[in-house]
Amino acid sequence: MTSRLMFRVLGALVAFALLARIPVGFDVGFKFDAALAVIWAFGLLSLVLLTGYVGQISLCQATFAGVGAYTAGMMVSSVHVDYLVAVIAGVVVAFALGVIVGLPALRLRGITLAIVTLGIALVFDRYIFQDHAFEWFTGGTGGWRVGQATMFGLRMDSSTHLMAAYLVLLALFCLVALLLVNLHESGAGRRFRAIRDSELAAATMGVNLTRYKLLAFGMSAAIAGMGGSFYPLVAGSVSPQPFWLFTSLQFAAIAVLMGVRYVPAAALGGAFMAFVPDVLTRYGHGTFMGHAYEISYDWFQIAVGVLLIVQLIALPDGVWGDLRSRVRHARSAAGAVGGRRVKVA
Amino acid sequence: MTMLRVRDLTVRFGGIVALDRVSLDLNRGEILGLIGPNGAGKTTLFNCISGVVRPDTGSIYFDNHSLTYAPVHERARLGVARTFQNLQLWGSMTVEENLIVPMDALGRRNTFSDALYLPFSGYAERASRARARAILHVLDLDPYARTLAGDLPAGIQRRVELARALAMRPRLVLLDEPAAGLDAQETAHLAEVLHAVRQRFHVSMLLVDHDMSLVMRVCDYVYVLDFGKMLAKGEPSAIRNDPKVIAAYLGEESKKLPGDIQTIAAAKKDERPLLEVSKVAAGYGGLEVIRDINLTVRPGEVVACIGANGAGKTTTLRAISGMIHPRAGRVMFAGKDVTGSTAERISKLGLIHIPEGRGLFPNLSVEDTLRLVSNTAGREVDISPAFKLFSRLRERRHQLVGTLSGGEQQMVALARAILSQPRLVMIDEMSQGLAPTVVRQLFEIIRVFRDEGIAVLLVEQFVESALDVADRAYVFEHGTIGLSGPAVELRSDRKLVAGSYLGSAVDAAAIASGNGNGHHADPALMEIVSVRVPAKVKRALEQRAETENRPAGAVVVELLEKVDDQ
Repeated sequence: MTSRLMFRVLGALVAFALLARIPVGFDVGFKFDAALAVIWAFGLLSLVLLTGYVGQISLCQATFAGVGAYTAGMMVSSVHVDYLVAVIAGVVVAFALGVIVGLPALRLRGITLAIVTLGIALVFDRYIFQDHAFEWFTGGTGGWRVGQATMFGLRMDSSTHLMAAYLVLLALFCLVALLLVNLHESGAGRRFRAIRDSELAAATMGVNLTRYKLLAFGMSAAIAGMGGSFYPLVAGSVSPQPFWLFTSLQFAAIAVLMGVRYVPAAALGGAFMAFVPDVLTRYGHGTFMGHAYEISYDWFQIAVGVLLIVQLIALPDGVWGDLRSRVRHARSAAGAVGGRRVKVA
Repeated sequence: MTMLRVRDLTVRFGGIVALDRVSLDLNRGEILGLIGPNGAGKTTLFNCISGVVRPDTGSIYFDNHSLTYAPVHERARLGVARTFQNLQLWGSMTVEENLIVPMDALGRRNTFSDALYLPFSGYAERASRARARAILHVLDLDPYARTLAGDLPAGIQRRVELARALAMRPRLVLLDEPAAGLDAQETAHLAEVLHAVRQRFHVSMLLVDHDMSLVMRVCDYVYVLDFGKMLAKGEPSAIRNDPKVIAAYLGEESKKLPGDIQTIAAAKKDERPLLEVSKVAAGYGGLEVIRDINLTVRPGEVVACIGANGAGKTTTLRAISGMIHPRAGRVMFAGKDVTGSTAERISKLGLIHIPEGRGLFPNLSVEDTLRLVSNTAGREVDISPAFKLFSRLRERRHQLVGTLSGGEQQMVALARAILSQPRLVMIDEMSQGLAPTVVRQLFEIIRVFRDEGIAVLLVEQFVESALDVADRAYVFEHGTIGLSGPAVELRSDRKLVAGSYLGSAVDAAAIASGNGNGHHADPALMEIVSVRVPAKVKRALEQRAETENRPAGAVVVELLEKVDDQ
């Protein structure tokens, strides 16, 4: 174990310890938001790998999460397996779908790839998640109800065990995030980044494009699917709405907003996606200077759009990326050499 | 022994035959040059060997493996590496990382052991890093190991490209115009580096370049392509004096006698210059392409800029017309200082620049394209003179420009220029990709320009035709102007012009000393680079080298050659 790896492990542990304490004092609504934040953070993390490392565009990450969610819901409701098995099944199915979606990416890039993945998101949204022909997979119009489940043989109830689900999710997130940071600096990560910078040069230098692009899509889908497969446990049921087309677009927008090349930005974006709309609907109404106002969920969409424009001009490397380099710059300008310089990917 | 064997390769793009039954042999340890004028098919052949283009017929063998249809990364596995003319380094990675990617792309490490940081991965990582440092050391790149490749100046990026290709442990390196954009001194240094690389890494090389001085310095053998066919092959000294090759580069020797042109040039001599360029330098990013350019064009005069590819002709035009900003010097046009002015403002003064590729709108019809002139001129322009000049365009007035042939498109560009009644037209590579008969027609038009009192500044690869039509000419060499004078004089001194293309300036002494390696090498690092041989064999070699009092490398080469012969 090198010192750099130790530092990273330590960082992951500290992050877990800090984040684990946050929702303790919250009411049920915010506890749900906290768990949801980690689920969305998985979706954003999948884009850090796919777009940030490998440079591939995908507008169907919510579809991968949805497939994970429905697979897990089906496994628990109809086969009654332990929830852990259901998660593994969700990850495997999402991985497989990711590899299939990756096939067109072998030929396409840029805007055409974006359109194709958008089409895939639309097809799943309309014709699979909401279609009667796939009721065996989606559990019909009501979706799967996962009121009760067992994990590690322990009973997990969606309404009373939100904290436990949150902790499991968070631990897994910290682990996957750590692996991704490691990957960035390793040989395979460099091969991914080589594809991002110049596909032609990567192929010429012996990087098997077919293999690494499919692997990237598969791994990315698996990460999104891992988050999604916890959705039934957290929400108690699965419905098409959280995994519709618009969530995929939101993933892309918020990943860019927060900094698509940075792992911690995914956590930041997840919290943003889960908490901000809820806070707005809870506290976003009242009277201001005699006028009644109400800030609805629609305002959140507009705010994301405006923030994205501001970010692209002011913080081109994303909120996290630019703040990080600014802090670093300030620190080196002040002449403070605070220990080793450690790159947080 | 033949290492790379290309047989009867044919490539067609649509109706154009880019390569016509081309064959080529490259022997082990050889540096082979591949040259030819623009559009000869060098790049196509290069791309077939590196796997970017698939040939229609023919075969490519590398050490008894068929490469003809092998995927690109498979070629890397077999030991074929390449560099790119338009630098393809991974800009967001450090130089060191750029070298490690090809090393472990060919290794056994996998994604999951890397993410988990297993000890095996860590060991491989350290070994790769040490080897990368060693290669950087040989190429004199040690100070840049930790710099992001994208931040380096282009000249150094070229060397990093070579280093990255070597990191694959290749047996054959394909070099795509490694001297593009380098000046004479840097080119000389590159020649030294290439010799050092061959000695230390035991690689063969295939070198495609326009820069003849480099080819003449480093290549053991040269193939010449022209119009998709193998025109000649032989030792560099023989190639340089081959009349067929000189003709291919300079065009057919013209038989036309200069009568009236000379008198016009003489008459113009004292007039005030319309365009005056003094001591201009310009470039892109970290690369300075031209420096110290002095050039004048008088009203109604036709001036040609000739010289090898990459000598800075196009950049000069761009610096004049305001497409790029000059870094030094002054550009005067029609008595006004237009240095660093915008392209739009300069064109309003009456200077039209027809860039390479003609700058047309493919989805406009011929008539609409010409009518646009009214728009830029700010007044209603009668377009009928253009049809009088180019009767062919009248027939096609409603056709979209993009569907016209290359020659017709060039006519549209010229017609558009003449309609706006400019004082100076600059034309970049007018004849590129066009058949000789079409080119002749276009040059007739240039005469019409002169008759109308419009000055013309030409950049041209068909030297003979350009000198036929021009009053004066400048010969570009490595970003500066080498020769200049009345076109008649330059044309009569064919040898002199040929020298600037085929690099006769390279003296024999430089070729001989090119084999030496300029910088001091660290023996410990060299050890890592050299081929791994069993210790017993190594000892025997050392002993033999000592008794015969010559370097061990020479003994190895001799032995390998013996094995090959058997």
